[in-house]
Amino acid sequence: MKIAIGCDHIVTDTKIALSDYLKSKGYEVLDVGTYDFTRTHYPIFGKKVGEAVASKQADLGVCICGTGVGINNAVNKVKGIRGALVRDMTSAIYAKEFLNANVIGFGGKIIGDFLLCDIVEAFIQTKYKPTNENKKLIQKIDDLIVEDMNQKSSDFFDEFILRWKQGYYHD
Amino acid sequence: MKIFIAADKDGFSLKNQIVSFVNKAFVSDEMIDLNPKPAIDFIEGTLNLTEHLQTNPDALGIMIDGYGVGSFMVACKVKGMVVAEVSDERSAYMTREHNNARMITLGSQIVGSKLAENIVKEFLSAKYAAGRHQIRVDMLNKMA
Repeated sequence: MKIAIGCDHIVTDTKIALSDYLKSKGYEVLDVGTYDFTRTHYPIFGKKVGEAVASKQADLGVCICGTGVGINNAVNKVKGIRGALVRDMTSAIYAKEFLNANVIGFGGKIIGDFLLCDIVEAFIQTKYKPTNENKKLIQKIDDLIVEDMNQKSSDFFDEFILRWKQGYYHD
Repeated sequence: MKIFIAADKDGFSLKNQIVSFVNKAFVSDEMIDLNPKPAIDFIEGTLNLTEHLQTNPDALGIMIDGYGVGSFMVACKVKGMVVAEVSDERSAYMTREHNNARMITLGSQIVGSKLAENIVKEFLSAKYAAGRHQIRVDMLNKMA
């Protein structure tokens, strides 16, 4: 079992703690970044986790940013991803059992490492329970995105990075 | 400001409580209940809400189902929509400030009614900070 993990610069330490935890449990880890605390942008890493899972390069994904909102919006905007943003195990288990979620997400500054790791383990262990009802819902969710092949390109966000470097985005 | 709210059958009762709360606590805003009867499912309810948010660019939205999970997945997949699945007050205001989230999803099985009210209060009271955060929102909006 291979787990793709991604984060922004706010919670890299939380992601490393999760990476160590997953390895200690015998899982393979695909860490798509970011790898330090230098300011970057969460959509880059949400997109990478989503593409790794959607392409079957990884079996499941975990996305973490400060509140979890930004990176988990990005991952869900990849076709084939069903990601939940949770602060409790109950929601994570529901997401897998009923909606066959393939990504689980957290606010690294909202939840503690203990609970985060427990929820990831529960999410991995929980089995999807197909029913006629949830199969129809899953199909409808997956059909909401029409795949844009340009989105897969590694230079998809370059126009924004360029404007960032030019000082266009400032507080 | 217009505030749209929607719910499926699992979120219906909590939705009614939130409608009463917002009507009392945000008297100068206009609360619009899209589900006097429950939506067929969380997909129909969420898509109806996101359509209203797209035609009302200054409005905010609240979607309530059993867990907040399914509605979150659905709303994320709507082009240009940023949505927060929340069960705490901090995330509720911070997602307005940093992500310019237009709507939140709540699970009636996950949050109690008082927590739900305070999450809604924080979400509706916060303002988007723009600035450096705008690059990330621009990136999200370019995605599917």
